[in-house]
Amino acid sequence: MLFQTPQFFVFLGVVLILFYSAPQRWRKFILLAASYYFYMSWIPVFILLLLALTAIDYCAARWIAQTGSLRQRKTALVVSLSANLGLLGFFKYYNFFAENIAHVLGQPSNAFALSIILPLGISFHTFQSMSYVIDVYRKEQEPIRNPIDYALFIPFFPQLVAGPIVRAREFFRDLYAWRRPSTAEASQGILLVLLGLAKKTIMADQFAQIANAYFQDVGKHPGMLSAWSGTIAFGIQIYFDFSGYTDMAIGMAKLLGFHFPVNFRRPYLASSITDFWHRWHMSLSRWLRDYLYIPLGGNRGGTLKTYRNLMLTMLLGGLWHGANWNFIVWGGYHGALLSIERTFRGGKPEDDRWTALYPVQAVATFALAMAGWVFFRAATFRESLYVLGQMLTGSKGEMLIPAWLLSLALLTLVLAVIEEKKAWFERIAVGPAWAYGAACALLLLSVELIGFTGPAVPFVYFQF
Amino acid sequence: MLFQTPSAAFPKRFAILNRLAADVKGGLAARLFAAVVIFAGLEGLIFHSGLYARIIEPDSTTGFMEVQIQNEIRRPKPDRNQVLAVGHSRMALLPRIENEKKPGTGYTFATIGLGGTTPRTWYYALRAVDPDAHNYAAILIPEDDYNEPDTWGDESERESDLHYLIARLGLRDLGEFPWTYKSTKLRWTAFEGIVLKGTVYRQDFQEFLDHPLARIAKAEYYRHDSAGWNYGFGGDARSLAGLEIDWTHRTASHFPAAVPEAEQKRITAELFPTFPPDAGRETAYLRYWYSKILDYYRGSGTKIFLLRVPRAPVSPPEVPPKLNSAARQLAGQPDVVVLDEHLLDSLERPELFWDSMHLNREGVIQFTEIVAGEVRKALGPPKP
Repeated sequence: MLFQTPQFFVFLGVVLILFYSAPQRWRKFILLAASYYFYMSWIPVFILLLLALTAIDYCAARWIAQTGSLRQRKTALVVSLSANLGLLGFFKYYNFFAENIAHVLGQPSNAFALSIILPLGISFHTFQSMSYVIDVYRKEQEPIRNPIDYALFIPFFPQLVAGPIVRAREFFRDLYAWRRPSTAEASQGILLVLLGLAKKTIMADQFAQIANAYFQDVGKHPGMLSAWSGTIAFGIQIYFDFSGYTDMAIGMAKLLGFHFPVNFRRPYLASSITDFWHRWHMSLSRWLRDYLYIPLGGNRGGTLKTYRNLMLTMLLGGLWHGANWNFIVWGGYHGALLSIERTFRGGKPEDDRWTALYPVQAVATFALAMAGWVFFRAATFRESLYVLGQMLTGSKGEMLIPAWLLSLALLTLVLAVIEEKKAWFERIAVGPAWAYGAACALLLLSVELIGFTGPAVPFVYFQF
Repeated sequence: MLFQTPSAAFPKRFAILNRLAADVKGGLAARLFAAVVIFAGLEGLIFHSGLYARIIEPDSTTGFMEVQIQNEIRRPKPDRNQVLAVGHSRMALLPRIENEKKPGTGYTFATIGLGGTTPRTWYYALRAVDPDAHNYAAILIPEDDYNEPDTWGDESERESDLHYLIARLGLRDLGEFPWTYKSTKLRWTAFEGIVLKGTVYRQDFQEFLDHPLARIAKAEYYRHDSAGWNYGFGGDARSLAGLEIDWTHRTASHFPAAVPEAEQKRITAELFPTFPPDAGRETAYLRYWYSKILDYYRGSGTKIFLLRVPRAPVSPPEVPPKLNSAARQLAGQPDVVVLDEHLLDSLERPELFWDSMHLNREGVIQFTEIVAGEVRKALGPPKP
């Protein structure tokens, strides 16, 4: 059940009606039932996996909190992490490792391969579960007593499939002190859902057609302009796809009285790669920082160790996106860029973005980010190198993005810059009824008229 | 976007947003009402006012139909002695052929026939060109076969009808048009299309955005000149002269040398279709839409003519007549003239066809003369 389909909106409408017409004590049961229904609309049998993980993590956290023995606390933590990472590893990485082992042993690449279907949202809900158990272990989070409450935290349908990765303390703060959304919050929620829908169906799905056409057979479109336009099309697709999904998730959560963290803050306006990562998939960056980079030592162990930690974090961040060498290279590429920037900046905080140099910095950062997406999107490493070669030294090539889509992309750039400076979108959300109504109407009309006309396109991050 | 959690309000430079959020005027219902009203206003202004129909791609399903309808609406009709043909590509009436005789006959012929259209679209097209049911002395409707056999495709489930008609459908049609489809999916598509016309126009609109000025110029060009092109069309010069058809063994041979092999295969396949057992589905469909047209013109004095088009380049063997077909049952009704089904049998000759079902240049001339003659005879002298 994809977020942009009429079926999902019917589902959402039913959930909202049931939620607000039921007595408050029943509401979490309604959300849990709806979330399980949503999860099972993909492959029903995987619910058993989800229930098992929920039970393991719930019990592990309770055990950690109750026992006084450090050894038992560690055992419970290891059990929980093993269950989460074991399942994630099996479903997501088994074939990757099997293929590489087969390669080393000189066997056919599919010699040890299994036919595995990835359970819905496994990369996201395992990270949420692990953060909860680790927080309990670190005594930063009280264990949740009510298993229903904990069960709801894992598959909560607005963010089950592709985040944002919500911390337990954020989720339970809202659950235990639930209050009806104010008019402003409900208005924001609806506008965010519409904005996300527009981002997905207009920008992401339209540019996806260009990116898919290019990357399906990169040899058919040689040249610099083709490589850049095909890659930029993918860069636009993945940003609007993922941030569109996130906007819808945050908006739906707001309508249900929950407040999710911001996940994107106009990353293509970043003035450096460091800034880019402060704006791109912020909930994952936060997770990697708190549960990987800092435990590895962060920047506390000297320059070399800092670079090592940075590289390890980014390499694992790359691997998190998918079992493919290209994702690891993509992570390494960003790790290297972050390290280089850190070398030049010397660990000092970034300067104010809005300097005279900003346009140059922003264009350079955008170009570097686009070059990174080549590894992310290309089918093989060899293909990535071909595309990068075309981007740097290819012949003229052809512009793959039609004029009207290019104009649309430039319009969104202008809107993003104004949003960055003036927060116009938020002003409209809480502004007068006519302005709010006009914004909603324009978004709806845009979806109606310039949304992609073909069958619903799955979200890119669903596969992660 | 920036929307913050309650515990982390907007940053200092956007502090005004916190004040605005705390002081939102009007309830959510008022804000949503404003959204609905503005959206409906924009939709209505662009799509329900006919504004967008002026720039629609003329070489598209909707565009073809609009060009035909607009041309017919604009065509001067100084009297009511107008004869209008509706129909698909096999309605071979060429008004120019007959109108050149007008001083002698007193009747003016016109057509809004269009390839790929169906009786459902003809009804709505007639309603568009003749809103008061008062413009015409006669309407000519073609039928492929008075036996109306069911085919493998269900004519009532053609989504393309929605595209042909979208510019002519309005909210008043919500009670009927969608429900003339059988499947829930198509009913929903039609319902959604009528309410939110942009969903049907979407592809066209996106193509418009790609070359807006060229589109506007093209639409304008068609608006001014297409009536002349259509009127001056003389028919296809190709011919299947020499073709032989063996209906018993379902073979076609002796194609003219100019017909390519692929075309020969296509023609052969079209000549010998197979039919499912007849369950009366086609008859029910035709009866429904013929009745709609008849009801529309009931009491107006307009006569409705039904004619069987030439079937094939060689007359196929006769089969027992289906007496309860929609066409045959119309025969006795007032203001309905069902032309003899053998009226055009003389045109079923390969030298008058250019493919398996369409008459060529000479064929359409003869078709027009025969049909117009029968119509004039049935109508009698033109009214002053």
